[in-house]
Amino acid sequence: MKKKSPTLDPSILGISRREMLGRFGAGFGTLGLQQMLSQQASATTDGASPLAPKAPHFAPRAKRIIQLFMPGGPSQVDTFDHKPLIEKYAGQRPELVDRKSLRNTKNGLMKSPFGFKQYGENGKWVSDIFPKVAEKVDDLCFIHSMHTDIPEHAGAILMFNLGHIQAVRPSLGSWLVYGLGAETDNLPGFVAMSPHAQARGKAANYSNSFLPGAYSGCYVNINSMHPDSIVSDLKNQYLTRGTQREQADLLAKLNQIDLRNQQEDAALESSIQAMEMAFRMQFAVPEAFDVTRETQRTLDMYGPTQYAKGCLLARRLVERGVRMVQLSLTIDGYDIAWDTGHGDIVGGHKRLADACDQGIAALLEDLKQRGMLEDTLVMWGGEFGRAPTSEGQKGRDHDHYGFTVWMAGGGVKPGYSYGATDEFGLTAVEDRVHVHDLHATLLHIMGLDHEQLTYRYSGRDFRLTDVHGNVVHDILA
Amino acid sequence: MQILCLLTLTLGSVLHTFAQNEQNSKEVSQDFTPQQIEAFETNIRPLLVKHCYECHSQDSKSAKGGLLLDSRAGLLKGGDSGVAIIPGKPNDSLLISSVKYQSYEMPPDGKLTVKEIELLSQWITNGAPWPSSEGPKAAAAGQTINWEQAQQRHWAFQPVVHPELPAVTNKDWTRSAIDYFVLSKLDAHALAPAPEADRRTLIRRLYLDILGVQPSQEQVDRFVTSDAPDAYAELVDRLLSSPQYGEKWGRHWLDVARYNEGFGGFTDNGPNPHAWRYRDWVVRKLNADLPYNEFVRQQIAGDINGDVESSIGTGFLALGPTFRTDGGDPDSAAAAKSETLDDRVDTLTRGFMGLTVACARCHDHKFDPIPTLDYYSLAGIFNNSASVVSPISAQPIVDAFNQAQNEFNRLTNELKKANDEIKKAGDKATAEQKASRDQLQQQRDKAQTQIPTRFDEAHTLRDTGAGNMKVALRGDIRKPGPEAPRRFLRIVEGEDPPLYENGSGRKQLADSVASKENPLTVRVIANRLWMHHFGRPIVMSPSNFGTLGNTPSHPLLLDWLASELVANNWSLKRLHREILLSATYRQSSRFNDAHFAIDGDNKYLWRYSPRRLDVELWRDTIIQATGELDTRLGGPPQQDILRSNRRTVYASTSRNGDQFASDRFLKLFDFAAPRASIAKRTTTTVPTQFLFLLNSSFMVDRARNFHKRLSSYSQDPIAKIEYAYSLLYNRPPSAEEINIGVEFVTVTTNQSSDDKLDRWIQYCQALLSSNELMFIR
Repeated sequence: MKKKSPTLDPSILGISRREMLGRFGAGFGTLGLQQMLSQQASATTDGASPLAPKAPHFAPRAKRIIQLFMPGGPSQVDTFDHKPLIEKYAGQRPELVDRKSLRNTKNGLMKSPFGFKQYGENGKWVSDIFPKVAEKVDDLCFIHSMHTDIPEHAGAILMFNLGHIQAVRPSLGSWLVYGLGAETDNLPGFVAMSPHAQARGKAANYSNSFLPGAYSGCYVNINSMHPDSIVSDLKNQYLTRGTQREQADLLAKLNQIDLRNQQEDAALESSIQAMEMAFRMQFAVPEAFDVTRETQRTLDMYGPTQYAKGCLLARRLVERGVRMVQLSLTIDGYDIAWDTGHGDIVGGHKRLADACDQGIAALLEDLKQRGMLEDTLVMWGGEFGRAPTSEGQKGRDHDHYGFTVWMAGGGVKPGYSYGATDEFGLTAVEDRVHVHDLHATLLHIMGLDHEQLTYRYSGRDFRLTDVHGNVVHDILA
Repeated sequence: MQILCLLTLTLGSVLHTFAQNEQNSKEVSQDFTPQQIEAFETNIRPLLVKHCYECHSQDSKSAKGGLLLDSRAGLLKGGDSGVAIIPGKPNDSLLISSVKYQSYEMPPDGKLTVKEIELLSQWITNGAPWPSSEGPKAAAAGQTINWEQAQQRHWAFQPVVHPELPAVTNKDWTRSAIDYFVLSKLDAHALAPAPEADRRTLIRRLYLDILGVQPSQEQVDRFVTSDAPDAYAELVDRLLSSPQYGEKWGRHWLDVARYNEGFGGFTDNGPNPHAWRYRDWVVRKLNADLPYNEFVRQQIAGDINGDVESSIGTGFLALGPTFRTDGGDPDSAAAAKSETLDDRVDTLTRGFMGLTVACARCHDHKFDPIPTLDYYSLAGIFNNSASVVSPISAQPIVDAFNQAQNEFNRLTNELKKANDEIKKAGDKATAEQKASRDQLQQQRDKAQTQIPTRFDEAHTLRDTGAGNMKVALRGDIRKPGPEAPRRFLRIVEGEDPPLYENGSGRKQLADSVASKENPLTVRVIANRLWMHHFGRPIVMSPSNFGTLGNTPSHPLLLDWLASELVANNWSLKRLHREILLSATYRQSSRFNDAHFAIDGDNKYLWRYSPRRLDVELWRDTIIQATGELDTRLGGPPQQDILRSNRRTVYASTSRNGDQFASDRFLKLFDFAAPRASIAKRTTTTVPTQFLFLLNSSFMVDRARNFHKRLSSYSQDPIAKIEYAYSLLYNRPPSAEEINIGVEFVTVTTNQSSDDKLDRWIQYCQALLSSNELMFIR
């Protein structure tokens, strides 16, 4: 396989990538551009690193994304989508909520077991289980009208993270790094983290799929915070750094000769890239992952939970040039943590919110203090929500008809709420936003046109949003 | 199965079309007037849709009570409680008594209005008019499938036909019938085959592909310089007769067999301590070229004829999970049993036949003509078969052990009794008693030393009964439906397959699966063989040849391979040979710009696809190059393969992939946890693999040993480097490579006294970590 356009340093053509896009993108479409670049690329095999920073399509609002992923489906009406009418009709099943849920539950509406209070300048209602995030509502931009295709975890999680219900496409983070590179050459451009278990779907959620291997997310289990145990065999016990560099250079040289002999081979190239990354990771990872370098004040602000440490790590990583961090909330090794909502909203949701509330609020505060919030997009949400009706005594079934995500920073309107579900919170009815639209918007915020960010594979140009997606301009500041 | 079930949810619209097509031809249509139909559409259908379909339609998650109300046939067929309507007799129709809350209380969330009930009654009085065009949707629920038509509708169900050779542009290129099929596709896509690879590349490719190890330099030289016209064919034959063939290709089969040593986690965490007997059996049978149909039969029913050796083959099924309940709750026990049977049916049908029969456990298969009834026809067979540990040593050895053990046990008991009596007697114990006790003690100690080594055992199946299962309504075996006669799948054997009446029925099942009339079994194995030779199968979904699987890239070639296999008495080695001798296989892997642009995936085989080695091959070639490889065949597994010199096929693997040190290493390099039959592995390239190369003690130790080997060969740096290249890559280094090496080992300006490895060992580690050693080309 050839080096594709984004792996190519456009300077060999004497023009910038942006110019190329301007010059050819409009006239011939991306297909023509890609082909032109492919032809040029065959002349160069040792161009810039595929992770070198690349110019976006247009001025970005944010340079990096921290995704606070909530696998399992947090309930919107128990968190950020306050629906007082539920209480009035509790136990009843008005026509509006009489829609098929995954398990076909037939119960009536169930009042949220949590209290709600108003916060911020606009008096935004937030559930009592998120008291600290609630204090940040003036920084948050809510989308209450999310919806997705299916009410089943694995497929919906994949939809949320890679825009397709099967694990056959590159993930959002891989697309971002493919389109923009990273601003670090010793850390992966895209890091996925979780305490305990990975989110359901595991590697698919940060996979490069058919994109070159350099764009793969790197997974880190944050359960153990000792730098050496974050990644096995991270530390070389035998050689000093300088000597090991010479050894790695030797290996790179030998592999380059092999690559030359084999002409083009994408697998060989990814292998060379991965080796280089591994070398640099040995030193950069322990430093980046060493939260003990933080002040006690900072540590206290984030609090003691594993997820909070993940939040702190996320800040450290994006600070060092990582393009995207996907921090998934799992608990007790459960890969769809929020699904404990089936049986028990009270216990399940409270415990999960406790695990992340302070850390998330601290992350927002920390980014703000460091002046990073303005060009860092933080996004919170799960693959779908939960129905306002009850399942069993005190649980709720899946709801893919409507759910809430929120964002902060990155040029989205602060203290803003977009779209709405019906008066009971089941179905997105106003300014509906599909996951494809969310993806288009995220790319837009990062300065990428979701219709132009394509990769030719197997005779066809692929996009994150496939043939869908509309940018939600209304939420942009 | 969950994933597949999800698929059915999301592809509901496909299903809909499928089911309709299926049925249209077969509706026994009744003539209703347009006015009657219009009245139905205006009054009745909306009512049914609104109040009933959430639970009683094909689109509902599960049809409650087995009742479907979205077709007339469904109403007539009824559900668990009987027919829903009797046309013309509303007062005898369960539907009416239910909506009146007289029998059931339907719909459960609120009674219909009097007017609505009246409309329904009137509709039944009028004969329950329904438009004929969509009638028999319920037939997809297993009532009436026209099996002949269903077989004709999908390529994989059609008989294997030995195809004619297609016309090609360049006959001179062809060496085998295979090449005609490949070349005709290349022609059709304006592609052309690559030139033949050089002999060094070919012999290395053949060794890695057939044996999973490298040739020695002497073997390479002999082949490269041979001018015998059949040197290539001779080499292929020699390799196919090497016992290392079984180790390499056995591992491919072990993936299909989800081979594991147990430890599947909660409720299935027991060990399979004798699993390796099955692994060795697979290696032995492949080496002996046991005809594939017999290979299949023995894995299903090798225990039935009483032959110990063939019974080991049933480890294929016996090594699967046996789920237990945590507390004996009846629902939980039923679920455990269902899950266990699911594993057997799934492994059997996907592994041998590329059919996802287990999808039909709770509902009729949504895409393939596999009704739930057929699932329970097969599950019933395994419901009469238990996984057991049974002796595999010769009977006298077993008897000798048992006798010695029994004697020891008897003496131990007596000794205990004697001791108890003495203790009870206290001071009154007699000297006689004590002497007798001492004598017993001596006898027992002697008996202990005379217990021979325990006989060998294996995990096998054993028949436990001969009854049919009942269809488990919606997968719940506590809700039995109609009896499912033990017999084969109707999509393969037609409307009325012979019943399996001997014992569990496994013997007859084995014959059905391994029949040459079964088009799936033979196509599936031909495709698997092709996949491992070329890195890409003809059917991209090797374990799903059903409607949702992929269609073959070279359908005629697949049928040619399949029919050749049968024609040659199911000899896998003959089929390997045919493939390996083809011009297609001998192509160079060189890149071609123009061809890449047309066919980037090399679907049409315009070159040999270079690819990453499986972890087994990669590790084996490393320890082979260092001179450490232990080439003994078979034996107990290695819990930490990194501390062993055995081939990687001998690594311990747990069902969850998290029990053994070996598991962790294998997983890092794309070995799939054997929770279920594995169709093909994925290949990933991630930095953590390279951290292993750079930093693991395994790699450093190999580098040390490799350097010892080089040093014992020569002290001259250039000679050592040349030797290293021949051991690792079967080729001499280029002048550039020699220079790089010499410079690296001699220029040590940056070397620090803190470095614990000298330059040569660093150099060796780099060579062992190179891409060239990781790829087959």
